[in-house]
Amino acid sequence: MLRGGVYGLVGANGAGKTTLIKHILGLLRAESGSVRVFGLDPVTDPVAVLSRIGYLSEENDLPDWMHVDELIRYSSAFYPAWDDAYADDLRQAFALDPTAKIRNLSKGQKARAGLLIALAHRPELLVLDEPSSGLDPIVRRDILGAVMRTIADEGRTVLFSSHLLGEVEQVADHVTMINHGKIVLSAPLDAIRESHRVDGRIPSLDEIFVARVGTSAAEAAEV
Amino acid sequence: MRSHAAAVAWEFRQRHRLGLIAVALYLLVLATIKLLVVTGWAPVHLDSPESFAFVVMVPLTTTFTYFLAVFSFGLDGDLAARQSMYPARRFTQPVTTAGLAWWPMLYGTVVMIFLWLATRLFALWPSAIEVPIIWPALLAASLLAWTQALTWMPYPLPGLRIIVTVLWLGTIDSIAILALQFKAHEPLMVGILAPQIPLAYVFARFAVGRARRGDVADWRRVFASLTQIKRVLSRRSDHFPSPASAQAWFEWRLHGRSLPVWVAIILPFELILLWAAGDSTSLVFTILIGVLLTPPFMASFAASTVSKSTANPGDAYGVTPFIATRPLTNAELIAAKLKMAIRSTLFAWLLLLLAIPIALELSGTWAVVLDRWRRLSEVVGTPRAVVLLLLILSGCIASTWKQLVQSLYIGLTGRASLIQGSVFLVLGFFFLFGPFAEWIIDGRRLGEVWSALPLIFGILVSLKMIAAVWIIWRLYHGGLLSDRTLVIGAACWSAAVFALYGVLVWLLDTPHIPHYLLMLLAILAIPLARLSAAPLALAWNRHR
Repeated sequence: MLRGGVYGLVGANGAGKTTLIKHILGLLRAESGSVRVFGLDPVTDPVAVLSRIGYLSEENDLPDWMHVDELIRYSSAFYPAWDDAYADDLRQAFALDPTAKIRNLSKGQKARAGLLIALAHRPELLVLDEPSSGLDPIVRRDILGAVMRTIADEGRTVLFSSHLLGEVEQVADHVTMINHGKIVLSAPLDAIRESHRVDGRIPSLDEIFVARVGTSAAEAAEV
Repeated sequence: MRSHAAAVAWEFRQRHRLGLIAVALYLLVLATIKLLVVTGWAPVHLDSPESFAFVVMVPLTTTFTYFLAVFSFGLDGDLAARQSMYPARRFTQPVTTAGLAWWPMLYGTVVMIFLWLATRLFALWPSAIEVPIIWPALLAASLLAWTQALTWMPYPLPGLRIIVTVLWLGTIDSIAILALQFKAHEPLMVGILAPQIPLAYVFARFAVGRARRGDVADWRRVFASLTQIKRVLSRRSDHFPSPASAQAWFEWRLHGRSLPVWVAIILPFELILLWAAGDSTSLVFTILIGVLLTPPFMASFAASTVSKSTANPGDAYGVTPFIATRPLTNAELIAAKLKMAIRSTLFAWLLLLLAIPIALELSGTWAVVLDRWRRLSEVVGTPRAVVLLLLILSGCIASTWKQLVQSLYIGLTGRASLIQGSVFLVLGFFFLFGPFAEWIIDGRRLGEVWSALPLIFGILVSLKMIAAVWIIWRLYHGGLLSDRTLVIGAACWSAAVFALYGVLVWLLDTPHIPHYLLMLLAILAIPLARLSAAPLALAWNRHR
């Protein structure tokens, strides 16, 4: 991946999106081949890799016994580049009560809290695993808005997986489609659209996805 | 499966089949042993208090506690939370509230009664004990029924459930103990205990009804200002000085307080017995030994959660992505757990060391303890008596810490089969320990064992050192620990071994015990292999 881009990772359920993200974070050990992030192996050198990554988990497993301000204080200790002012701006923008317990937050508020701690240290790589699944449009707008602001402001790299292809289309400038653990298509979004032009009409990412992945998914289901 | 009752029974059976199979196997073994003894096939004697405790009382108490947790849904819920521990998913089932509450209670009651009757029938009871038929079953059933009722009740404050449950169950237990003290006959005991069960059933129906309606009063606002003061006071600075200190804080908040809390709950019940001990030296010292063994004993229970990275009791053993993606090395994550365990141990012992003198003073039993201390000083000399006391105390404290951390190397693997397998292995060891000790003592093999002690210790030390070398080799080649950490760790371990050896040589200055035996003992006593294996286990779990 090149620095400064927004990479959308799309694929059907079980295609391997989360597995790929886990490899990037060093949560899985490669059985063959190798994984390099910033030129380093995330399994053998987790501190150097993870301190430069902001990660929002699909599971949103923030410690539910913490208060929001405790979560911010705890998380800030791990990142030398943590920006208190930015964290406070994000907390206010996301309307998070610092005295609220994570356990008592709604799903959307938890996602915002997770995004806050992923963004506040201005990571070189932001990894979002299904950041908007099950969330309402307002939270999705907040998440996408924050992603776009981050990109616009500082030109850092974002990798996000999503089922919502419309969302990917709005934000990503490079799309990778995976199916059964294999990349079936990976190219800049504009190039993908151009290459799938039919009779002068540019198809949507939904249509391209169905055309490229739908067939192989159906074949796999038959097998 | 056409009825709610059958569905509830199926869920219990399906979820806890391994535990139920283990209990059934235990009862089968008890029955087989009794059959062999009764028919004269095997000359087994299990009527000494120690072997009886290991073969019958320890498994019986463990099984009772296990059933208490199973039938009150205590394995899934948060005991300290305000919300009912009754599974909320069941509230939407088309079943009456009485049906929701009473079927799990009925199964629990039947199982508890069966557990007692089976143990009474199959165990080899000491001939001196007249084993009652009904009231222990009723005591177990009523304690379970009240546990269910009180844990299913929603409470207006977090933590209130623990206080109410401990006090109420303690009251029932105390009434039963008092009745036994006054030599109450079985009919009277039945008369006291039997009404508890229907009362608990009625209360449980009320509790589940309130939980189902979401009828939970909230008194937290009353204490909100106090909470704010506490939060302001507890926040000494805006930032943690280092990632390691942040992680140590995390571990303390997640696991550190459970041991001191459990010790604080149990301690008053133990120390209150000093008032009943009077001038009886043996009774006072029995109580004090029990009190000193409480932290290591409770630590063995608290240890089951220390390896987890979440407070949710229902979660699996794996490391959560939140913790796995902290920019910390595996060694730093382990170090935070070890620091938490030290702090937790010291807090628990601080409570103990403050409470014991106060209880001795107030109960008027100081004189008994001082008298025994004077006698010991006269026999071995004051310096040796002081060192002996300090050695016992530091041994108990170290043992508490060791209990908390020694199973990290299993728990941190995150593999359910390994963790559950190790639990069964420990239970099996306890089960065999009694008969084995009995075999040694009864067969007058103590002399042979004493002669073989150097060989036994030598084999154990060899195994320990081989395991340690293999683990350190893996740690070094896997890059999990730096060279500096490995060297410092080895130096600290050697220093601790030599220090303990020195103290033992000075203390046990007798020609009957060779010094090399004390060295082997010191090597075995200071933890090495299992503790060193913890980073390997975490790496296996964190990077699957």
